[in-house]
Amino acid sequence: MTTMSTERGTRQKSTDDRAVITLRGVEKYFPIKEGALQRVVGQVRAVDGVSFEVRPGETMGLVGESGCGKTTLGRCISGLASPTGGKIYFRLPDAAAARLDEIDAVPENERTQEQRKEVARIDAEHGITQLSGVGWRTYRRNCQVVFQDSFSSLNPRQLVKDIVGRPLRVYREASGQELTEKVVSLLESVGLGRQHLYRYPHQFSGGQRQRISIARALALDPEFIVLDEPTSALDVSVQAQILNLLHELQSERGLTYLFISHDLGVVRLMSDRIAVMYLGKVAEHGTAHELFEDPRHPYTEALLAANPDISAEASEMKGLSGTVPDPANPPEGCRFHTRCPVATPACGWEVDDAVAWLQTNETLLAGLLDVERRSNFEATLVFSDAAAAGAVDDALQNANVPAPMMNALADLSSDGTRVHIRFTAVEPVALEDIGGGHLTACILHTSQGRDNRE
Amino acid sequence: MTVGAETIRQQATRPLVASVRDLRVYFEAKAGRVHAVDGVSFEIRDGETLGLVGETGCGKSVTARSFIRLVPTPPGIYAGGEIDFWSTEARRTGGDPVDLLEIPHDDMLAIRGDRIAMIFQDPGKALNPALSIRSQMAEVFYQHRSEEILMAMGPDVPWIVRRAARQQTTGIERMLLKIPPWRAKAAQLRRMVDDLVSQALTETQIANPRKIMDSYPHELSGGMKQRVLIAQALACNPDLLIADEPTTALDVTIQARILELIAELQERLETSVLYISHDLSLVKEICDRVAVMYAGRIVETGTTEEIFSNPAHPYTRGLMAAVPSATHKRGKLAAIEGTVPELIDPPPSCRFNTRCPYAVDICRTTDPTDVDLGESHRVACFIYDTSLDSAVRPSRERRTS
Repeated sequence: MTTMSTERGTRQKSTDDRAVITLRGVEKYFPIKEGALQRVVGQVRAVDGVSFEVRPGETMGLVGESGCGKTTLGRCISGLASPTGGKIYFRLPDAAAARLDEIDAVPENERTQEQRKEVARIDAEHGITQLSGVGWRTYRRNCQVVFQDSFSSLNPRQLVKDIVGRPLRVYREASGQELTEKVVSLLESVGLGRQHLYRYPHQFSGGQRQRISIARALALDPEFIVLDEPTSALDVSVQAQILNLLHELQSERGLTYLFISHDLGVVRLMSDRIAVMYLGKVAEHGTAHELFEDPRHPYTEALLAANPDISAEASEMKGLSGTVPDPANPPEGCRFHTRCPVATPACGWEVDDAVAWLQTNETLLAGLLDVERRSNFEATLVFSDAAAAGAVDDALQNANVPAPMMNALADLSSDGTRVHIRFTAVEPVALEDIGGGHLTACILHTSQGRDNRE
Repeated sequence: MTVGAETIRQQATRPLVASVRDLRVYFEAKAGRVHAVDGVSFEIRDGETLGLVGETGCGKSVTARSFIRLVPTPPGIYAGGEIDFWSTEARRTGGDPVDLLEIPHDDMLAIRGDRIAMIFQDPGKALNPALSIRSQMAEVFYQHRSEEILMAMGPDVPWIVRRAARQQTTGIERMLLKIPPWRAKAAQLRRMVDDLVSQALTETQIANPRKIMDSYPHELSGGMKQRVLIAQALACNPDLLIADEPTTALDVTIQARILELIAELQERLETSVLYISHDLSLVKEICDRVAVMYAGRIVETGTTEEIFSNPAHPYTRGLMAAVPSATHKRGKLAAIEGTVPELIDPPPSCRFNTRCPYAVDICRTTDPTDVDLGESHRVACFIYDTSLDSAVRPSRERRTS
């Protein structure tokens, strides 16, 4: 049993000097394979450079539309998927985080041997992809997951006793009568009881099944739980019960949560801090209060405006036009600019935007033969005849073109059957602190934007 | 959408489109009869949006599907009640309604998709993945508008093209349609239907409808698919549109756009809408009147304002308190304890008595009747039944559990 107690990792008395989970530029790309040889032809950037940390005892909310990478990020953190880039640290002391910041400021090729060694040491001690043996087991037992769909996350052929007792068995925490008693006390802590021990998952309602999932996650007394939309499949009255249960468990056991959801009301209720994700990147990050009362990113504002709210007085819901762009080929600059109601010319307009705009007209691109693309910002469209090219040239100068896109056009010229388009190139927008830990990636609020505008 | 008292009075005098009276739909199961819908009554008036709210399994979808008889029988049984429906003609001429549960199958085919249309919850499942959008949309017109189309084509339409327009062709006839004497006419028919399809798609603000028509459902995003379904449902300008949680599968930003679209089309086409949802906050935004369902019964009806500013039934109150809102601070929610009761051969009782904090003996032994609280506000709860003696009556001041 002695090895076991080290594995559990005695929870440090003073937990203020370390984070539970630290993400630094985490990336998860999925390859797109094609043809008989399964050659990699592109990459879906599900998570593209996400950094944040989760402190002990707090709830970090992660919001975004479907396909923004929030679940993939949750899977990376819980060790179910390995990130293709960046680092995830577990129990990273603040001192080490500060050292990493310092070293990161130095360009890769100018680092001294000692600095490299130090990074390697921190990675080996805390980076979850490099953990091995006891370290990995400690991490796995301290980071549990509750999934969205309790139908598919509970084995239909196992009894509740086996489902909830499984982690205890795997970690040799208990067996026999002791195991049964532990399972009973776990079930009681989530509002179920001894009478449910010998039943199968299908005999329970959705809310009860989610309680079983939570009991299983609590079995090894973890420090951190990833809650991946735990209530989105439930009715409101049951959702309220589950959310209350999660609250109680957090205050009783000092749990740390990563709460993933698309429901803003639920996230507000559960979270201390919130990160809003869009297309694999964090758009805005701040305390729940800051984000809801003083949003500093148009995407957050759009989400809030679209959210129906029962306590609001006769609000008008406002939707967003367009669809989420393809994460295999994300937009330049700010990824939200294609749908942003307050986009500026400096937001990263590119050739794809011009083509997408032309496609809304049935006839304009009918004679398109070829696109000679020099970069995402510069291309030549080749048409079958000069008339078609002229029509496209005219259409792009038309007053109907969105004004920011029009102003971002650095060069538009037609030469016979060819139309040359060039936009002003811009850098990707970086997340920036605009005061008190409130981070946003909108150039309307950051210094990057101020430089551009000047 | 707040509705003033004036408009409510106006709406109350509007002609009826549908009237559901004491509808009962049961399902035969091994353990007995499941009373999925157990005595539901409500009315839908011309041009209004009625919200039917309730949790999973409360019978709201079964109620809606009963309108167009989509509940499979067996195992379903229409055990009683009627759904009277007035089409535009009937309303204009002051004619009699038809009982949707009684009319012959062929009449139902003529009404379904034409006078009463439905938008389903999951746009991914409601479209046929093997057919192009064009052919799925065209079917609506072939089914309900073939005579008008043939009329527009002029007098000399060959018999085989008529059969094609009515979707009656056999395989051999379809091959015959490809040979010269009929080919031109068949192409003309196709062009006319294509025009109608593209027009219907344009209505739902789909840019470039001709391109969408040639695509297959998997090529479209969820919001786009829902637009196609709305176009399909509104193609024949129905009198009643049943929207069964049309935005549950969509993201909030897309959801807001789809709801804007439905509201705008409803206003223009003067369609009545039966909007089914589990989301109270949504219903508050878009409905004129609301009916709250619980365990197969309607527990409260009223205008949106009445229901949301002055909820009467303990279930409605509990449901509202359980919705997290963006203005909620971090903390606990007021949850309704317990679970929905089994609906197999339930005894006479208020179905909510097992979870109701005010329940007394009478709630467990007697069916509550509707009590009028105002012009259009009705609630099925003994708390408000003043004909009862106060000794046996539950009270909101007295928590019993």
